[in-house]
Amino acid sequence: MAACSDADGVPGGQGAWNTHRLSANRAERQRNSMSDDIAVGIDLGTSYSCVAAMLDGAPQVIPNEWGEHTHASVVSFLPEGTVLVGNSAKKSIITNAQDTVYSAKRLIGRFFFSDEVKKAQAVMPYKIVEGPNNSVRIGIGDRVLAIPEISAFVLKEMKAVAETALGREVRKAVVTCPAYFNDNQRQATRDAGRIAGLEVLRIINEPTAAALAYGFGKDIHQKICVYDLGGGTFDVSILEIGKDVFEVLATAGDTYLGGDDFDDRIMSWLAEGFLKAHQIDLRQNKFCLQMLKEASEKAKIDVGRDGTARILVPGICQTPEGEVLELTETLGADQFNRMVMDLVQRTFKVCDEALQSARFTASDIDAVILVGGPTRLPVIRNSVRHYFQREPMTGIDPDQVVALGASIQASALLNAGAAVSGQGSYLLDVTPLTLRVGTVGGFTERIIDRNTPIPIEKSKTFTTSRDGQERVKIRVYQGESNRADECEMLGEFEFAGFRIGYRGEVQIQVTFEIDPDGIVNVSATDLESGQRAATTISLSSGLSEQDIRTAIDKNAEVALAGHSGSPSP
Amino acid sequence: MDVDFIMEIEQRAAALDGLDYFEVLRLPQTAGADEVKAAYYRESRACHPDRFAALPSPQLRELIARIYRRVNEAYTVLRDDAKRPRYLADVTGPDRAKKLRFTEVEETAVKDEQKKKLEEQFGQTPNGRKLYASALKDVEARRWDAAERALKTALMYEPANQKFRELMALVEKSKPKADPYKIR
Repeated sequence: MAACSDADGVPGGQGAWNTHRLSANRAERQRNSMSDDIAVGIDLGTSYSCVAAMLDGAPQVIPNEWGEHTHASVVSFLPEGTVLVGNSAKKSIITNAQDTVYSAKRLIGRFFFSDEVKKAQAVMPYKIVEGPNNSVRIGIGDRVLAIPEISAFVLKEMKAVAETALGREVRKAVVTCPAYFNDNQRQATRDAGRIAGLEVLRIINEPTAAALAYGFGKDIHQKICVYDLGGGTFDVSILEIGKDVFEVLATAGDTYLGGDDFDDRIMSWLAEGFLKAHQIDLRQNKFCLQMLKEASEKAKIDVGRDGTARILVPGICQTPEGEVLELTETLGADQFNRMVMDLVQRTFKVCDEALQSARFTASDIDAVILVGGPTRLPVIRNSVRHYFQREPMTGIDPDQVVALGASIQASALLNAGAAVSGQGSYLLDVTPLTLRVGTVGGFTERIIDRNTPIPIEKSKTFTTSRDGQERVKIRVYQGESNRADECEMLGEFEFAGFRIGYRGEVQIQVTFEIDPDGIVNVSATDLESGQRAATTISLSSGLSEQDIRTAIDKNAEVALAGHSGSPSP
Repeated sequence: MDVDFIMEIEQRAAALDGLDYFEVLRLPQTAGADEVKAAYYRESRACHPDRFAALPSPQLRELIARIYRRVNEAYTVLRDDAKRPRYLADVTGPDRAKKLRFTEVEETAVKDEQKKKLEEQFGQTPNGRKLYASALKDVEARRWDAAERALKTALMYEPANQKFRELMALVEKSKPKADPYKIR
């Protein structure tokens, strides 16, 4: 199989690394893919995504035809009905703002009434509308799409990138998600994979994937900390690596904290400055806001790399008199550090929490792995060094390490031979949030504590409260508060089909299971008869089986722009 | 996949409900924390579902998943310093057959026990505990008046609390006798 690490010098059009593959006839390729199946690892990020595969025994990132290793998680719906995804779609945020969706991961698996969705509605140029059961939908022209459908286009692009480079069909994948994602968000991520036409072998946590990429095949015995600051989420995982076993001891996170928030700080500063100078608030206009956002992101990267950033946006807006104004500013490192210091501090609160759960102190940690683009910023590196009193590892590219880890896991899950010989690595992950059931008066009761290793199951017995009761309803939550309204609701489960009796006489044993993907399954049996009760789920924001099937068909109909012959702009 | 292996999995899954957590992890009841972890790693290497993800038979995969869920369950209880003694007492006691799994009943019992211990140490009422804690801080900083005030109020909430009384006695003894506010 062709390795594809050196793609940077490849001219446009069909990549040079797969030409010898293309010469092989179709039937032979078909046979090949039957004999040695392939599965890729996909890091589905808030701002950027990345795809990798095990090639010749080593994990490698697969670049696209332009030699790009990471691809903006931006989906732009073009007028002719095709969909453009990736770095070229990112340019459309300004020119085709209404129909270009970015940062969809911030909305995945969330309820319409959540703060994150409200915030997104205020700043995003695309239309966010309410779907059934308080779910979130995106309006594109006269079409309405669920968030997993948007993410599915990103995954479809990753699949296409891999297929072009490898010259064969890719149908199986391991997809990563933030460790602190709740059940709704994990389900939605898995649905996105299915809609994109992928068999999702496993959902694994981003920090765990990074740890696997770090320790795979190294025979190390260490306690490590993965500090994962992505575009929209922050995760910390504490792991103990014992040769081929990767045991997650604790995980903590903040799904509302990421590199985007650093951009926001620069944005507010620029907008305030502009308001003072010209009495025009750039944030009032979504078009200006996009230019401002782009300039802020660039400034953040520049200030991190060069210590100072010169910001220049010509023609950002017009005065009522018709005078065209430009935005010029200079941002120094000290000033930037002051702007974001509280955000950086927040990440260490999360580190404290994770270390405490693992019953460690910072000095117990043997290695710190940095993951995510924002960890390139000197302010983060210095703070991490100060907090852990050690130099963070910089060996692996923080943008690619997650995808590399996912590809290792993907190849292990595919390989039945490894099972027999006992080779491979074992990820022992935990559930990040406490699983709870609703009780009377808006309170909840714990079922499975956070940081419990998964897969796991736990049972609880419920009884009927009225004579002749036919149904029992329970609401399942995830969160750290004993108040239901401060937790995330996963859904309402209704059990029926058990024996009818006087109140308190019928006992129903409800089993809560968290599977290796971190997804919660609930089932119930009548304790006396041992009969399984029928279960229906309602009030869940997720997609139904029928919705997913329709979405799979719809997704398959839409072509990706820039692939299969049609040149990318 | 050979027949021996399938037989072994089926036997283990069938026997699961008759095993205690020590037997699930194949450990002696005297095993220390390190041994528990080593056993957990050993069993994870042997029956982690990822290892068998490529098996064609979903029934067999479910059996393996069932075994591994129990391995995790055993590990969470045996590694926990609060839960393990209680569990050990349960499975060595007369009700062993009913107590093989650590259920919500035992969990609540352990929680109550811990709460009781905490209460004995720091008071039974939230306000009493808060005041006692602040009094302890005041004593450490030698702010005797503040400590006395806090303890007096704490004793209003829990007049019978022995700990509070002991600390009060200490404060009264240590307090400087002369009253600085007295007009001579």
